[in-house]
Amino acid sequence: MKNWKLKEIVVMSVLSVVFAVVYLAFLPVGKVLVGFFGPIGYDFIFGIWFIVSIIAAYIIRKPGAAFLSETIAATVEVLLGNAVGPMLIISGMIQGLGAESAFAITRYRSYTLPTLIFAGMMAGVFSFAWGYFQSGFAALAGGYVLLMFITRVLSGALLAGVAGKLLSDALAKTGVLSGFALGKEKRKKHVA
Amino acid sequence: MYLNNVNPSVKALTILALVLILALLFDPVTPVLFTMFTVLITFLFGRFRKKYYLFYFLPFTIFAFGMFWTTIAFADPPQNPAETIVLLGWEVPEENVLVALSLSFRVMAFATLSLLFMFTTNMVEFLLSLMQQLRLPPKLAYGIMAGYRFLPMLKTEFDQIRAAHRVRGVGTESKWKRSRRFAVPLLAGAIRKAERTALAMESKGFTGSRERTFYRNLKVRGKDWLFPAGMGAVLLFFIIFSVRFGYFSWYQGQL
Repeated sequence: MKNWKLKEIVVMSVLSVVFAVVYLAFLPVGKVLVGFFGPIGYDFIFGIWFIVSIIAAYIIRKPGAAFLSETIAATVEVLLGNAVGPMLIISGMIQGLGAESAFAITRYRSYTLPTLIFAGMMAGVFSFAWGYFQSGFAALAGGYVLLMFITRVLSGALLAGVAGKLLSDALAKTGVLSGFALGKEKRKKHVA
Repeated sequence: MYLNNVNPSVKALTILALVLILALLFDPVTPVLFTMFTVLITFLFGRFRKKYYLFYFLPFTIFAFGMFWTTIAFADPPQNPAETIVLLGWEVPEENVLVALSLSFRVMAFATLSLLFMFTTNMVEFLLSLMQQLRLPPKLAYGIMAGYRFLPMLKTEFDQIRAAHRVRGVGTESKWKRSRRFAVPLLAGAIRKAERTALAMESKGFTGSRERTFYRNLKVRGKDWLFPAGMGAVLLFFIIFSVRFGYFSWYQGQL
């Protein structure tokens, strides 16, 4: 936490709070999908719930950004009230750890599109392993569980990795990120 | 009221521990009893606006019901397919019904525990306590506190952007495109405000070091331990109760 600037922390918390609201808004969407497709319904849009860790890590580029932002978002979700309860904080931590692990593998040096997609997929893998234990997926048929897993990882790659990058780049274009790692990188490219 | 005054860190850790224990139980009886107990003590020892409780509680019951039917509908083949229960005219294996019941009552138990925390805990006190009892870095804690304050502002901001768009005659495209039109300005505004807030904090002398004083010192007192002890004892009692009457089931590879 020592090498973090205060503005980076506040911006990370604000992003987490904003996306906590977005996350809550997507819970009923997931419920509708579950109504149509069964438990796999959540997996189609599961990537949405990893997006803040990708965005925060991509903008701030410091160790811990992915993990902390997802944890804060989950905690805010619990404080605002949702149907999963305090367990959600643990789920959020695990999802954050998944994304964080991808950035740690690149030693926090690479923030290209493939890395971000990889981070989204890792969040999916971690969260699925946790979900397998916590929500009782083993009570479901094996082939179905495999299909759920593939869907969730793909959703993590697209809705968190790709969409997270697109949204952050759109934000960088407005100029508000000029004081952050992402904005600085863009400016350097522009000059060169 | 007692629950509002329990040290927030003690309360949070107790609830997390209870949730973890409940996650390992696979019988329907223990979570049902514990849910009722949690609601009871929330109303007896908590001070909050009671009518909101129902408003928050209702979605949980729907979620729990969804959990119930999906677990039955997508269940693994049972070990004793001969033992069945008739449910709404359908014959369902008894085993699946029991697992489904225990999973959905577990959702209820988690929900009531988180409502207990939510309704009786002040966010600022919680963060102060996390700093003072659990050594959360002040930089992070005050950063979150500032970020949390943005929440009510988002609604105003959203209305403003909508009004601005409307004045310029935008607003006939699909829902998906509309959400994109709002996302960037909303986030950009929030980031700009966050940066300014951080600047203001620093210019008023906030360094984020651990060696700081607090206007409000939260301590863990003797009576704070009553909460974990009481909740733990009651859960243990319910577990013993369901063991005695043969309902009890521990985690045995059901997952």
